[in-house]
Amino acid sequence: MVLIFGHEVETGGVLGCGGLWWFLLAEPARYSTPVESFQRVHNLTKLCVSLILIMSTPADDNVSSNSQLSSDLFGDLLDSIIVDVASEAHRIARLGLDRNLDEEEVELRLSAEARARASDPSHSGEANGKYVVDIFGQTHPPVANEILECMNCGRSIMAGRFAPHLEKCMGKGRKARLKATRSSSAAQNRYSRGSPLSTHSPYSNSTGPNRSNGSSGVAGDENSCGTLREL
Amino acid sequence: MLIWLLSGPEVRFWRASIKRPPTPDAEDETDREPTIQEIINIKLIESGEKERLKELLRERLIECGWRDEMKAICRAHARKKGRNNVTVDDLVHVITPKGRASVPDSVKAELLQRIRSFLSSTAL
Repeated sequence: MVLIFGHEVETGGVLGCGGLWWFLLAEPARYSTPVESFQRVHNLTKLCVSLILIMSTPADDNVSSNSQLSSDLFGDLLDSIIVDVASEAHRIARLGLDRNLDEEEVELRLSAEARARASDPSHSGEANGKYVVDIFGQTHPPVANEILECMNCGRSIMAGRFAPHLEKCMGKGRKARLKATRSSSAAQNRYSRGSPLSTHSPYSNSTGPNRSNGSSGVAGDENSCGTLREL
Repeated sequence: MLIWLLSGPEVRFWRASIKRPPTPDAEDETDREPTIQEIINIKLIESGEKERLKELLRERLIECGWRDEMKAICRAHARKKGRNNVTVDDLVHVITPKGRASVPDSVKAELLQRIRSFLSSTAL
């Protein structure tokens, strides 16, 4: 019985089949009709034969059927995960939760692009002439070129030149100080010592120790240039 | 109506029919021998290995960004079709070919390795 169908069979397989056969036959039959018993025996025989054949196939056949089985199982696992992903995406779509994700998506895409551009060796960033490329890939000219209107004198000033202009215009400069002391000394005396000179200045009147308001300094207030730069 | 049915002469017929042994069709299904695949499947599930493998696969696919890709595809498809016209089935059919193809090789190899070692460790 060792050589069945011309293949070598593991004796364990034969013994196992024999044991299985005996066990199943010894079980008391649930149904008394001979036809049904015969069918059961027939099916058991088929099972045993198929098991023997599985064990009796040569080694590489076994491996290939094994790998086929593994691929099938992997496909099975993957399918169930795909269904999970699909049902979650379906839920998000139906509940309209993906509207909130839109802006995130755009932002992610932009930052990824910017990162790519930044890491690109052709854009060396700081060393690239006078135009610096920042992380979003935007270049800034060295002097900001938006045009603004000065609220003190009403002239249109370039944004990059705005702070120095305000310094002069509002009173840190020598000329402005002279102008101020001459024209509005009365108003100055009414407000606190550090008050700005112009009546339509937006900055707060009480400077004193409070430098962070960015109010312009009057005579003696040396930190005004520092605060103005904070603007 | 049920009471009316239960009280008529048909009841005797039914009771008699209950005592009959089940038809051969039902018996054939339960007695059909399970394929090797089914046997393995049952073994996998019973030992808890299938659940572990599934968790491992899910974790690897999330790490490598596969899941996000699939969700983006679903989102684009849903937006194209109209949000209320998508079905789960539809999305599954959309994702499946792309999903199967885009699993990274390392993930696939790892899972196959684990499945094969499980198969060899369980005696057929």
